[in-house]
Amino acid sequence: MITASELTKRYGDKTVVSDLTFTVRPGTVTGFLGPNGAGKSTTMRMILGLDAPTHGSATVGDRAYADHSAPLHEVGALLEARSVHPGRTAYHHLVALALTHGIPRSRVAHVLDLTGLTDVAGQRVKGFSLGMGQRLGIAAALLGDPATVILDEPVNGLDPEGVLWIRTLLKSLAAEGRTVFVSSHLMSEMALTAEHLIIIGRGRLLADTTVDRFVRESGAGTVKVVTPEAGLLTELLAAPEVDVTSSAPGALEVRGTDAEHIGRTAAAHGIPLFELTPHAASLEEAFMDLTRDSLEFAAHLEPA
Amino acid sequence: MTTIALTPARVLRSEWHKLWTVRSTWIMLAAATALTVGVGIAIAASYDQDGGEAARFDPVQFLLFGTQFSQIILAVVAVLFISGEYGTGMVRSTMVAVPRRIPVLWSKAGVVTAVTFTATLATLLVTFVSGQLFLDGTDKELSLTDPGVFGTLLAGTAGLTALALIGLGLGALLRSVPGGITAFIGGVTVLPEVLRMFPYDVMDSVAKYFPGRAAEGLMTLRDTSDYATTGPALLALTLWTAAILAAAALLLKRRDV
Repeated sequence: MITASELTKRYGDKTVVSDLTFTVRPGTVTGFLGPNGAGKSTTMRMILGLDAPTHGSATVGDRAYADHSAPLHEVGALLEARSVHPGRTAYHHLVALALTHGIPRSRVAHVLDLTGLTDVAGQRVKGFSLGMGQRLGIAAALLGDPATVILDEPVNGLDPEGVLWIRTLLKSLAAEGRTVFVSSHLMSEMALTAEHLIIIGRGRLLADTTVDRFVRESGAGTVKVVTPEAGLLTELLAAPEVDVTSSAPGALEVRGTDAEHIGRTAAAHGIPLFELTPHAASLEEAFMDLTRDSLEFAAHLEPA
Repeated sequence: MTTIALTPARVLRSEWHKLWTVRSTWIMLAAATALTVGVGIAIAASYDQDGGEAARFDPVQFLLFGTQFSQIILAVVAVLFISGEYGTGMVRSTMVAVPRRIPVLWSKAGVVTAVTFTATLATLLVTFVSGQLFLDGTDKELSLTDPGVFGTLLAGTAGLTALALIGLGLGALLRSVPGGITAFIGGVTVLPEVLRMFPYDVMDSVAKYFPGRAAEGLMTLRDTSDYATTGPALLALTLWTAAILAAAALLLKRRDV
């Protein structure tokens, strides 16, 4: 269990993480989503005590991470891909970490095996591909048989087989009753792995929900309407939460209401409809909708 | 089976393991040793007691001239030992394993002390003994058992160990390999010489207690006015080392990793 309360990080007058309060529970995979630069890594670093919060606090289990007598047994973490000395072999990297806690070498061999690195364990990390580096980071995270696993963008640089392996691994870790907290900037990836979602943008909490509820409530679904009375229908549908746009004469894109309401409204006023097509939002669209206003580096693609 | 828990003794073992599992440690320690012994033998073999300045040479220190270079190599090992972790990102793995952070610095200091002291003492003994093979019958002929000789080698070893610890402290403060090395060379070897250029006697006296000069003076068998005497020199080095490591510890605790 991870608890963040009013977690805030400021660098000078730039606020990277702002008043984040959330709980990550054991037994499920919790996705930590946000666009690049949203403050995900900083939040994870504060949970692990690498960065000190400007305000607020984070605990893992019942206390701050640094206050545990066996921190690696409490939390296993994968931070930025390369947190390794490139001149050391994978085996010795893991042994050096294991020695701090008296973790036996048999466990080192076990996590190497688990991550498929046994054959390259004697090679210096310098020659590792991005994917092998990620696997080594995950091996290090699992070294202490931790109750909580924190992984920052674990699928980065992995091939499709590796991505599948991560998904299976995360689900099995959660099924064993562990707390699994995984960050990603890809909603589609989280939809396949996570059950619970914590979404942030510009350091602020945007949503703390389940994947199912997020899709249902996101309201990003659109209904395409084709009618000769487009202007009249637009007026009739007008409401604060409804957004109507027109891409071509007689064709409307309606957001914020459903096909049933549009159909009944049209029928009540004798407006003929040639087409009434609901488009369920993809998770990616719902996510982009939610975070659009909080993008730090939004791409502005405007016609010249 | 022993309990899995974080203990200071285990952090020390981890740091010991880290030092020896990168190739640069072996290469640089071998280079430091070879340089000190090699330069010592070369000086001894070419020694001419009737040469102009020969009489001025201290009989122990002149054989250890190679330490002028090897002290920098030893300091670089120490700088790399900590700031190399920042350069590579290893420090994040280290500080996640040891989130209280401070035991990492003390363990690194312990490992640097043990390794530098042992390696340097062995190197200075070998340098002295092999150098003396060429000095039979000259005015610099000395034996390890002559009064003060072993003590001088021991004090010299302590001085070089302190310099390596200062390198570790600078590496921890600056968190950058080039920064740490530059600060060491600038602060320890160049600064005292700059101070001596001022035409005031007081500057010269102050410079004697700067780390590089204090360590150099510890390698002399005879006291001269060029250097501080053994006791004050050791005290000065201890204070420099303690101050730099204390500052490093304070910042390690305070700064984000």
